[in-house]
Amino acid sequence: MSHQSENGPGKKPPIEIDYEHLDVARIMDEIKARAAAESVRQPPAAGSAPDSARVPDFDLQSGDGQPPVRGRFRRLLLRIMSPLRPAIKLLILPVYDEFQQTVRILHNTNLRLDHLYEVTDRDRHNAVVRLDREREYTKLLHSLSHNLVVELTKLKIENDTLKARLEIMDRDFDFLRKRERALEREVLE
Amino acid sequence: MKLALAVQRYGLEINGGAELHCRWIAEHLTKYAETEVLTTKALDYITWKNYFPQDDEVVNGVRVRRFPVTRPRRPEKFGRLQNQLLDGDHSEADELRWLDEEGPLAPALIDYIREHEAAYDYFIFFSYRYYHSYWGVRAVPQKSLLVPTAERDPVIGLRIFRDLFRRPRALIYNSVEERRMINAVSQNEGVFGDVVGVGTEVPAAPSAEAFRATRGVISPYVIYIGRVDENKGCHKLFEYFIRYKKESPSDLKLVLAGSTVMRIPAHPDILYLGFMREDDKFNALAGAELLVMPSFFESLSMVTLEAWALGKPVLANALCDVLKGQCLRSNGGLFYENYHEFREGLSLLLSSPRLRQALGENGRRYFEDNYRWEVIEKKYLAVFDRLEKEKKKGT
Repeated sequence: MSHQSENGPGKKPPIEIDYEHLDVARIMDEIKARAAAESVRQPPAAGSAPDSARVPDFDLQSGDGQPPVRGRFRRLLLRIMSPLRPAIKLLILPVYDEFQQTVRILHNTNLRLDHLYEVTDRDRHNAVVRLDREREYTKLLHSLSHNLVVELTKLKIENDTLKARLEIMDRDFDFLRKRERALEREVLE
Repeated sequence: MKLALAVQRYGLEINGGAELHCRWIAEHLTKYAETEVLTTKALDYITWKNYFPQDDEVVNGVRVRRFPVTRPRRPEKFGRLQNQLLDGDHSEADELRWLDEEGPLAPALIDYIREHEAAYDYFIFFSYRYYHSYWGVRAVPQKSLLVPTAERDPVIGLRIFRDLFRRPRALIYNSVEERRMINAVSQNEGVFGDVVGVGTEVPAAPSAEAFRATRGVISPYVIYIGRVDENKGCHKLFEYFIRYKKESPSDLKLVLAGSTVMRIPAHPDILYLGFMREDDKFNALAGAELLVMPSFFESLSMVTLEAWALGKPVLANALCDVLKGQCLRSNGGLFYENYHEFREGLSLLLSSPRLRQALGENGRRYFEDNYRWEVIEKKYLAVFDRLEKEKKKGT
């Protein structure tokens, strides 16, 4: 009887399994096919992310620098002082403007810094993903070279044995040739 | 019949590899023959420093004769020598120097074997790559059986071992893959050999609840049992598991049981529970969804057999031909070569309790048919029987 596995990873179609005649080799063929398809579908290396996004340009002149009015008392105080406002303004206007400008610059600098942090984080993540991938390749290469060493060692051994056999056969052949000649000589005599 | 089993280390302190394999075989063969173990006084496999003070002792009913290691291994020199050997042309003398350096250098053990050849019917040597096996088999070739416990390791290609594999009366392999590899390396098809392996003791009723209660593991988990070591492929397992968890969030945990020689990543879903007692280990295995075996090199994975004995499926590293072969022969587990296959295999197993059960059942049957102690003992006895018949024919 053929059944499907209850649930596969993601939205992929489930692997069909014949529980009556379970065959690991067949299941593995399906798993391998899915894994191969999955690795092909995977997006290219993480470096392709739009990590070169522009830093937004901030207008240093913008911003509503007006401080909020705080409470009734403040309003009342301002009303009382209103006759003196021209004089006060005249006295502190340069400082107030400068102060406002500095606050705006600091605010915009903070925004830039936040953005740069975000970009750096993304870059770092991409670099880690890239590094993981490269590490994986290196490990695969290591495993490959290890297997090659084993296979080469075996081949060398086989080569040695074959050489030895060839030598023995050579010697046998020589011996047989000599024997043939001796026999011929004896027959002729 | 009197048997001597020779191995590089022996004792209750050693709970894995060829040493444990040898201990279990020795303990089981005592039922059929007078069995002794010939070994060194070493405990540490890196330096082989003498550790056991007694020359003679009884361990679990088996007499153990210990011989001193005359020179501990110098790991740096050994490493250099091995690299030279594997990197370029060398002579047989270089290989023998490497063998001496690898150790455990216990000439008294070889002298004892040579002097007491007549006292024993057979000598069974465990682990082909050590001093005791090479010189021991040469000392008593007509009475020797070799249990190579060989992995796919480049040193197997050394010339001295080609000769070694052709010398003994019989070879007892752990798997068909091991046999195939040794045959290919040494063309020793002429020497009688059989695939036997080793059995394992499984408790009658392991309790997953006991494990969950004592260790506080509530979530479903997959388990790795063994030394947490890069050589065992654990770094890959961590990498794959963390990536899997990132891509498929769930409350699945990875439980690790065994001593560690590497840094374990600090991840909330990786639970390292340290070295476990045998009953704890089986309780943990009983509660697991499956056993994961990331090792690249195995001669025979005992823990895989234990998982199958409990009816648990296995997810194994396909780059280890022995594990892959066992999964295919038993129909008891899936395997992976890379992350994508790991993810697909694990997802499939976790999503289908029925598949887990079916694979586990197949694994259990495979274990019952091939690795129950009665089966292993019978195979050993059949080898002795055959050798005895040959001996009689010869005389």
